[in-house]
Amino acid sequence: MSQFLCHDFKTPRTDMSRRLPGSMRLVPVLFYVVSLATAFFIFKDVRDLQEAEKQRIASVKELEDLTMELTKLDEEKSKIDNELFRAQAVAKWVEGTRVLQPITVAIARAMPPETNITELSLERSPDLPAQISLLVRMINATVAEVPKIEGAVNRLHYRTHSGQQAKQGEQVEFRSMLVWQEQ
Amino acid sequence: MWDDIKSVLTFAAFRPDADDPDLAWSKRFDGRKTLLLNISRSQVSWRSINRRGKLDQSGSHEGDLADVASQRGEEWRALTEGGWCAVSLNNRFIISLENGLMRADNLSHLLRTNPRSVLGPKYDRGKRYALYHHTDTTASMLLACEDSMIKVTEDVLRGVGLKPGRICCGLFAMMEYAIRSIAESSRGQAPGSYLLIAACEGSIAALAQQDGQWRDLRCRSGLGAEGVETALQIVSPLVAKAPPGTPVFFVSDGQDAAFRTTLMEQLERVGARDLTQDDLMWKIIGEH
Repeated sequence: MSQFLCHDFKTPRTDMSRRLPGSMRLVPVLFYVVSLATAFFIFKDVRDLQEAEKQRIASVKELEDLTMELTKLDEEKSKIDNELFRAQAVAKWVEGTRVLQPITVAIARAMPPETNITELSLERSPDLPAQISLLVRMINATVAEVPKIEGAVNRLHYRTHSGQQAKQGEQVEFRSMLVWQEQ
Repeated sequence: MWDDIKSVLTFAAFRPDADDPDLAWSKRFDGRKTLLLNISRSQVSWRSINRRGKLDQSGSHEGDLADVASQRGEEWRALTEGGWCAVSLNNRFIISLENGLMRADNLSHLLRTNPRSVLGPKYDRGKRYALYHHTDTTASMLLACEDSMIKVTEDVLRGVGLKPGRICCGLFAMMEYAIRSIAESSRGQAPGSYLLIAACEGSIAALAQQDGQWRDLRCRSGLGAEGVETALQIVSPLVAKAPPGTPVFFVSDGQDAAFRTTLMEQLERVGARDLTQDDLMWKIIGEH
């Protein structure tokens, strides 16, 4: 009885349009699917944008922190470089200094037994520690003792510069500048 | 343009049109409240259909449609969504037997728009028609209803804010339904004989079938509650002519139980079977 359709004789309408076929339901379905997908992607993109903005702000802050840290490190490096420079200067000065005792011993041994050394002065230059001002005063000595002194200090890798010798009575005085020779 | 787009996006464009006569009432108004009206000569009765498609509230009012509508219009509008109603006219119609009428797929549409092409010389300008064909023969039942009455009914209902989505004849619909039911119950058997009597709110129709052929049809509309005698006078000749043992079926609906009971008492003498179901006419026009 399902196919039974009751008759109808009402005044027919002329403005009635045909129903759209069922397959056309795809149109509104697709519309809603696309709308939902668009809304989803807009929402997702907005979320991503906000997240990216947060990350950008964090990165900028991190960059500022790193820049400050770098500046701080540069200052520290500058200080360290300064200290290094000064330390190197000190090291160089220390490196330039040599023990004076071997010079004293070498000069003493170079003198003949009859010669007396009345005064032996070794004075290191404060600016150029490798240069030592030598003063030797001797009694019962001759001028020939001076090359012996020079030879003794040469064996210790010192070179004599501006040697001056003077004889006053029995006293012979020898002045010279000793300069350390690098090997 | 905007309305068209809106109707597509809300899927309304794919739903059956409320005014489409080629679709069953239940399909047109699925999930919506509607009103069913049965208009007799001096009485209007109604039932409402709720959103679940079940018959709900009922009522009747004595009087002419115009009078009743002016008093009950507001109540009727409250029982329907969008003002849609189905109307059964139970007055000023006649059902007759015809032979050799056109049969086509779009017959119902042609009957509404160009009835002359279907009925030929039988067409009368002052009438509107419905047809029900015998499935095995060239016979047809032709319902002719007064055009003026239909127009007046439409105008009155529109005047109280109701939209008639269907105007039919409840008695004719019951005849159609009963003939189909009998045919379905006797499917596979040789074409038989029977006498079908249908009554609805004081209107009566009787159809006689012999050896699978519709032989006679008698009809009277608007008899009223006191028309039992007249009804019997209409039915008696058909009963008398029917061969002994011919099954007699009776189907009825209406407010007047006394009319039905009295008529059935007389028909029981010839072994009539009562096919009546509760609210049959309402179910037919409110579902199919």
